[in-house]
Amino acid sequence: MKLIRIAEALETRIAYGPAAWEQINIKSIFSSDLMSDILMSDLDNMLIVTSLSTEQSIRSTGMVNSEAVVITNNKAVTDGMVVLAEELEIALFCVKFPTYETCVRLGRIMKT
Amino acid sequence: MTNMGQKGSFQSLPQGCELIGDLKISEVMTRNVLAVPRNTTIREAQSIMKENSITGVPVVDSRVVVGIVSMNDIMNALESGRMDDPVTDWMTFEVQALAEEMPLSFAISAFSKYPFRRFPVVNKRNELAGIITFRNINLALIRELSRQLQEKNNLNEHSVDMSSLELVKEYLLSRYDFENGGKASSEIKKFLKGHGIPSRLIRRVAIASYELEINLVAHSDGGMLGFDINADRVVITSHDHGPGIADVDQALTEGFSTANEWIRSLGFGAGIGLPNIKRVSDEFIIQSTLGLGTMIRAVINIHTKDQHNN
Repeated sequence: MKLIRIAEALETRIAYGPAAWEQINIKSIFSSDLMSDILMSDLDNMLIVTSLSTEQSIRSTGMVNSEAVVITNNKAVTDGMVVLAEELEIALFCVKFPTYETCVRLGRIMKT
Repeated sequence: MTNMGQKGSFQSLPQGCELIGDLKISEVMTRNVLAVPRNTTIREAQSIMKENSITGVPVVDSRVVVGIVSMNDIMNALESGRMDDPVTDWMTFEVQALAEEMPLSFAISAFSKYPFRRFPVVNKRNELAGIITFRNINLALIRELSRQLQEKNNLNEHSVDMSSLELVKEYLLSRYDFENGGKASSEIKKFLKGHGIPSRLIRRVAIASYELEINLVAHSDGGMLGFDINADRVVITSHDHGPGIADVDQALTEGFSTANEWIRSLGFGAGIGLPNIKRVSDEFIIQSTLGLGTMIRAVINIHTKDQHNN
């Protein structure tokens, strides 16, 4: 699924989007507030969904070769997170929905 | 009248189409498309276009496209002083719509064939599903080009000059310096990527290195993270100044952790760091003395086939 579809379904605010982010291909969704869990995952082309709004969320996303992260719960992102997302070429989105609703919405569009 | 795109109309494909392969229009178009009903006035349409910075808007009747209003139509109505006319008096009726299931190459051909700057996209029920512009196509081409270059690089990975793959580097890390925790791993990841190492292998190195880095800032009194890289393997070593681990076997058990609430609030300290390093490494050695410190050595082989996919 293309990232643009996810951005639309989640009504995201784009804190940073690398060149042509709309066409990033997402094959799986991984949601956790524990970075340790994300680092244990073995999926490819993941979209990371987390309510943990820290620079380590961006770093962990990069370590597992993921190209996009969604920060839930209407949380703000810091300038440092945006700079890091730019350095690592990671799409950084914010959504107003809680993590559960974000995942439900993602589940719905994945079925169609 | 909606005139649906026909396969026969777009047979001559311009250059660039081979790049976009099997992409469909639905994967590239903008889905959140603005449309107006028949009874909208030209003035209202102009206001919608101005507010949304767009130069054209489809006119729909029960989601079926019946026309399209462009800036030109609005200027013509303005010149005649008839801004309160319904859009149906001024819009273009002959709309060339594209079907969302069509290959993207059809949309590229349509832009060459017609003077339009945007095409409405319809679903199987002939309802408006999206809109496609040059911008959508450009973005798709950029991403596809980048993906194909990446694939080419991956194919050439093992033909890269491995003799230049040599690095010995050490990083000092301080207790609770979460701001810098991860910088070393990012640098090493970049270095390996620059040498064409397969991405699955880089991921294993990055995970081992990052977990060790986080361990140093979260659990130790500070220490050193070292990398010794050559064409055969990556050796990562971590030495710290204490406090040491009381029971190493327990520390290697998934779920065991001595992390405090603050470390947990940062997303770490779940007690799976050390087992995770062991999981991704080909060799893993840990030695620890309470009161003195901990030494960990993790080796990831480059030369052998990537056997740690799971």
